[in-house]
Amino acid sequence: MVIFALKNSALEAIERAQNLAELETSYKAYLGKKGELTLILRSLANLNEAERKVQGKEANDLRNLLEKRFAERKKEIQREEIVIQEKLAIREHVDVTAPGKRLPKGHTHPLTLAQTKAEEIFQTMGFTVAQGPEIETEWYNFDALNIPANHPARDMWDTFWLKPKNAGHLLRTHTSPVQIRYMEKHNPPLRIIAPGRIFRYEATDASHGFNFYQLEGLMVGKEVSVANFKAIIEEFYRQFFGKPVAIRLRPSYFPFTEPSFEVDMRWNKGAWLEMMGAGIVHPNVFRAVGYIPAEWRGFAFGMGLDRLAMMKYQIPDIRLLYSGDLRFLQQF
Amino acid sequence: MLFSYNWLQEYIKGKLPAPVKLAELLNMHAFEVEGMQKKGRDTIFDIAVLPNRAHDCLSHTGMAREIAAICKLKLQLPKTKQIKVQKGRLTPLKVKIQPASPKTTSQGGPASQQGGSGELVPRYSALVIEGVSIKKSPKWVVDYLEAVGVNSINNVVDLTNFIMLETGQPLHAFDYEQIEGRTMNVREAKEGEKLETLDNQVFSLPEGALVIEDAKRLIDLAGIKGGKVSAISLNTQNIVLQAANFNAVAIYRTKSQLKYTTQAADMYAHQIDPNLAMEALERAYALCAELGIGGKIAQVVDLYPKSASWRIKRITLDMQFVSSILGIPLSQKEAKRILESLDCQVALAKNRLQVTCPTRRLDLTMQEDLVEEIGRIVGYETIPAAFPIAPIAPPSKNTELLWLSKIRNAFKGLGFTEVYNHSFIGDKDFSTFAYSAADKAKLVEVENPLSSEFSHLRDSLLENLVKNVRDNQKQARLAESRQAETIRIFETGNTFRQHKGKFAEFNMLGALIYNGSFYEIKGVCDFILNSLGISSAWYDEYQATSEESRAEMWHKGKSAEIKVDGEEIGFLGEISSRVNTALKISKPVGALHLNLEKLILLASEEISYRAPSRFPASTRDIAILVPSQTKVAEVMNAMTGAGGALVRDIDLFDMYEGEHLAQGKKNLAFHIIYESAERTLTSKEVDTLHNQIIKAVEENPEWEVRK
Repeated sequence: MVIFALKNSALEAIERAQNLAELETSYKAYLGKKGELTLILRSLANLNEAERKVQGKEANDLRNLLEKRFAERKKEIQREEIVIQEKLAIREHVDVTAPGKRLPKGHTHPLTLAQTKAEEIFQTMGFTVAQGPEIETEWYNFDALNIPANHPARDMWDTFWLKPKNAGHLLRTHTSPVQIRYMEKHNPPLRIIAPGRIFRYEATDASHGFNFYQLEGLMVGKEVSVANFKAIIEEFYRQFFGKPVAIRLRPSYFPFTEPSFEVDMRWNKGAWLEMMGAGIVHPNVFRAVGYIPAEWRGFAFGMGLDRLAMMKYQIPDIRLLYSGDLRFLQQF
Repeated sequence: MLFSYNWLQEYIKGKLPAPVKLAELLNMHAFEVEGMQKKGRDTIFDIAVLPNRAHDCLSHTGMAREIAAICKLKLQLPKTKQIKVQKGRLTPLKVKIQPASPKTTSQGGPASQQGGSGELVPRYSALVIEGVSIKKSPKWVVDYLEAVGVNSINNVVDLTNFIMLETGQPLHAFDYEQIEGRTMNVREAKEGEKLETLDNQVFSLPEGALVIEDAKRLIDLAGIKGGKVSAISLNTQNIVLQAANFNAVAIYRTKSQLKYTTQAADMYAHQIDPNLAMEALERAYALCAELGIGGKIAQVVDLYPKSASWRIKRITLDMQFVSSILGIPLSQKEAKRILESLDCQVALAKNRLQVTCPTRRLDLTMQEDLVEEIGRIVGYETIPAAFPIAPIAPPSKNTELLWLSKIRNAFKGLGFTEVYNHSFIGDKDFSTFAYSAADKAKLVEVENPLSSEFSHLRDSLLENLVKNVRDNQKQARLAESRQAETIRIFETGNTFRQHKGKFAEFNMLGALIYNGSFYEIKGVCDFILNSLGISSAWYDEYQATSEESRAEMWHKGKSAEIKVDGEEIGFLGEISSRVNTALKISKPVGALHLNLEKLILLASEEISYRAPSRFPASTRDIAILVPSQTKVAEVMNAMTGAGGALVRDIDLFDMYEGEHLAQGKKNLAFHIIYESAERTLTSKEVDTLHNQIIKAVEENPEWEVRK
């Protein structure tokens, strides 16, 4: 009978299906909207009751059987496909030792790293960061700092002067003018650091450039002493280099401080390295900014930021910092 | 200055510490010993005497005094001999000192200095010695002089050098017979006067140089170098031995202007104590016999007009003041001992010291100076570190720094490497980057540049960045850039401009992408503006000119001003092919030049959270064929206008020009995302909106929606 023939051809089709697509096609052919068995089931309505009962049962039985077989066959095929995939996967492989895809990576300049770190450390000690212009006037760069004209003290700073000549404009030789500007606008007590680019008319070599970075600091209060300065600086170095360092103060001279000292730091095998100049702020500097010297006391210091960066990151030549060489810069 | 260890020992009772130990002590308590060299049985120190101690320590007795104080040893001063004038047959010498001229005073010359005596010659002292013998000096003098690098000439010249290095008072000897008219006139030179010095140099003198003139000619460049005509020779029989005190400013200015200096000039330029003059002559007189000079003193000249102005200084030192500066308690007794070892006279008062400073210590003028003396002799290593006691106030927030940090991190996140370049540009750059005369006129020029390559200050960051790209171009094939063959760099820094002597300084940010298109750099710019919360920026290419870089740098068809409201905050685009060719850069370079100050002012931390809709969005695509020069923004505006609030986003995902399209046309493809916050939009609603948009687009006869 028709149903019997249908059953055989359907079962055969299920067995023959090689993949899910073929199986789906067969399914549609028999059990789909316009499938053969579906049509038969629909046509049952046209039969008389006795025939409907018999054929109906056969048809439904077949439908159940086919649904079951299709589902089973689907699972079989899926399993077969997984096995095939795994077999293929074993043959496809990657060289796990070859480098991974390089993603674009950015880099911060070591001077920025050093400056940011220094700023953070001083900020935790209550210092505000102040900044100022790179082109300065003679007054802010020298006179206000007790460094008069026609005086050998000026020889301590080799200056780039700007045209027009004798108009008193120069490229700042230290960031001390920033401190003067700040004090003019603020009342003490105060704590500030002034990082920035400075310019010195000097021949360049592995440790000298003609434009580089300095970090100066100033603390003014009612009771501020050399002992306080030592504590602040020791703490700064401890945090900057990540371990306690030994420092020592030696007598020195700056027109804007009295007493003045050089600060050395002990590096590695006991060699002392000169790190910064410092001292107690000279009363003439206070007078220049309108503070009353008898009422206030302060210390000031200045260190080379390039040097700090070179020590922290073991950079042998200052010129690398301004070379724009990516082979150097991309190491940070 | 060089110091001989053996020579120093002459002035110390008891043995000096060994050279290495002595150097250590000097370093820690006085001056830096920059070098030490063994020379036979002697050790020669190169000591960096601090500028404010040049007046008393650029001498062996001065240094010995320091050493005695530091090492707690006793000083042993050299023998002097009281000057006795004897009758001689020489015509008396007439010495006149001229005052400073108003002209040099107005130029910042000697008399203009506040606090100084203003005189050209605070003191002029000299001995006229009759009947000298010129011969070789004894060995010990020659040895000491040669130890510190001075050649022995003859006993008279050696005497002057020896006394100078021993006492810090320069001496000069003239051949009396060469002084025409037996008159010496000390005055300022006029511009261009000529003088030949005894080292055979002919100088054309600047206005205000101190000179000594006899009745006929110039015979001495006072305080700096003797004149050839009055030099001591083997035939000299009578000499004028001068110990003068010259105005420091005059000497400093002259030696700077001539770019010529001597040991004597260096000493004078720092100002010395006029009292040293006669002391030095008394010492010289004591040595005359020993050096075989002989002779008798026929005349003493001592012009010391303002002797009162070199007053002994008295300073009241408050002990509380000392402790508060140093941060350690100090006894009155100890302070007294230290100051006395430095040759001060100290009287005790209640918690105070009355200190009388020796005249030779020109640097001791106020309490702070004495605190330094005490501090350094005690030793700064005795001061323990102690944190200040002050109210903890958080530092005021540096918002600009926070934004700058954010910007830097944003660039880092986009794969850029930060670069630092020099602030200077010069002739090479002018030709490479085609600076016109008008361009150069806007630049700030350096009066004394290191070289013509660094003659001006940079007016933009771009030129150096482009050079960085050129230099690194080969490296683009290496390391991290390998896969992308790109270089991404950025820099923040100041640029400069001037107009008629008024300077302007700008804090700028420059960024370059080598092998990057206009759209790439625009993407970077959008990202940065976004991360700063700046939403109202737009790009203007209508007659786009950069305010802060030169037009020659930019590709005219692929650049734009970045504006917020009406103001330009920066410029971006591709670097011009002219520049690329000049630097042999083979791929296009995208560049961005932003004014950081303006940018940071606009930055805002306001980010308000916008909740995503609970209801699903629908996307429809639309492709529009437009003329090539139509701006995407125009088309998007038209669509946004027509779509209204239910259009959540319009996203350009493709822009195509070329094959398969008609000439002069381009195809823009957008995703339009429809979404409502209140309900799920039905298919019908979305279709209606979409058709509205299509209709709006087609209102423009040149635009064609592709179906």
